[in-house]
Amino acid sequence: MNRAVLTRSGPLCTIQDLGRTTGRRLGLAPGGAMDRRAYLWANRLLGNRPDAPALEVTLGGAVIRFESATTLAITGADCSAEIDGAVLPNGFTTRVQAGQVLRLGFSRSGMRAYIAFPGGLDAPRAFGSASVVVREGLDGPLGRAMTDGADLRWPDDPPTGRARGVPRTYVSSQSRSLSLPLIPGYEWHQFSSLDRDSFWSNEWTVASASDRVATRLEGPVLRSGPQSLDSTPLVDGTVQVPGNGTPLVFMRDRPTIGGYPKLGTVDPGALDDLAQARPGTRIRFVRADPEEVLNQLRERRAFFRLDA
Amino acid sequence: MARVLALEALVNRTLTGVRETIPAFNKLLIEGVPEEWDGPQIEVDLRRLIDACFREPLPKPDVRVLTLPACYDPVLGPDLVELARHAGLTTQQVAQIHSGSTYTVLATGFAPGFAYLGSIDERLAMPRRSDPRPQVQVGTLAIADRRTGVYPSTGPGGWRLIGRVPKALFDDVAQRIARFEPGMQVRFRPISRPDYEREGGL
Repeated sequence: MNRAVLTRSGPLCTIQDLGRTTGRRLGLAPGGAMDRRAYLWANRLLGNRPDAPALEVTLGGAVIRFESATTLAITGADCSAEIDGAVLPNGFTTRVQAGQVLRLGFSRSGMRAYIAFPGGLDAPRAFGSASVVVREGLDGPLGRAMTDGADLRWPDDPPTGRARGVPRTYVSSQSRSLSLPLIPGYEWHQFSSLDRDSFWSNEWTVASASDRVATRLEGPVLRSGPQSLDSTPLVDGTVQVPGNGTPLVFMRDRPTIGGYPKLGTVDPGALDDLAQARPGTRIRFVRADPEEVLNQLRERRAFFRLDA
Repeated sequence: MARVLALEALVNRTLTGVRETIPAFNKLLIEGVPEEWDGPQIEVDLRRLIDACFREPLPKPDVRVLTLPACYDPVLGPDLVELARHAGLTTQQVAQIHSGSTYTVLATGFAPGFAYLGSIDERLAMPRRSDPRPQVQVGTLAIADRRTGVYPSTGPGGWRLIGRVPKALFDDVAQRIARFEPGMQVRFRPISRPDYEREGGL
């Protein structure tokens, strides 16, 4: 096993992959990388399996001391990564020698960076995944964020060859405004026509209370929608309107059921952009074409060779 | 709920490309593999399955019954006295009525290992608190509206607390997470305070 030490973990550093393949029937969150596109690219650059466990570094601030020489890939939020003072380009593979130290600064744009290691990080698994869900607080490493001094281990020797990079067109949007395609759901028509119009025409901003569970929004209030006593199932990207009237978008560590009215579901591809949206980012919703969403999802899955 | 579970079984038996099914109360979520699902066709297939499901007689409920020991006690369940007063019953009657029925797991969620059990006798129904408690102890037995459940870990909660299941039953994580599956039948066996402690309460 190759080895490194996470000497500083920053605000939040967790091991993530594509999330749990089972367990939702038992009420467990799916978990998984918030920005899947960035995570998948990090593994792809190294020639890893698409679901190899990698580090998700929230807002930067992590420091890693390498005890084995390796090649790693950093994608996602630009955290001005440096190795022994030399700046690393984001979205590329980089050669590291034993004894060198990788430092991530505070992220300049975006929320989450991904660091992939050859063969993937060695990590315990449950429900078909190594993803950590801090909210659930399961005993052991699967319920905990990384702490300072954590050991990182990975099996493979670094691939040889020249550095590889993510083509610019595939880098997640990190702009100050986002338009999210939404497929209206089965409760859509139970909102008043005033609220439905207001939903398409208004703008919200990402609230600072957003986390891996949900991106919470601030802005105009929606007051209608069905009132039900029993909760109903959710998916990644379900847009729900809780008691305070401002919509929220459920992300990877979401609950499996929710009791508030639901407007619909955000295009899975757009969730990656939303995962990088900093507080204050302006959000608009546009009506999605379900066929188009499905086609893009299939294309992307084929590109990254996802089959389950 | 029985109809939802019948549909779930039918879906898993006949539909391809199903990743996971999640039943909750009167809804069923079906997660599909995008490559194997064609938008318009899947809608047709699902309508056909729903129709077929409604034509068939309801399957008998799960014969397995999970029985959990429960101590109905005003110290372990600090809302027991208030709930009894609200219902116009004694605390003993609350325990008797609550432990006198067999419940069905109507949904899982909220926390790993939490199950929404129902429906409880309407005399015991009481809305949840408007101000959730920041700390409810692991194993606490609770009521909200026509639902009852057991907190699988210590954490915040807004339900009415009426007693406790011995903490020892929650020590094993794997067991705690996988204890309840939708459709499963559950009963509570009333135990005394000394028995609660002998069975690993505290």
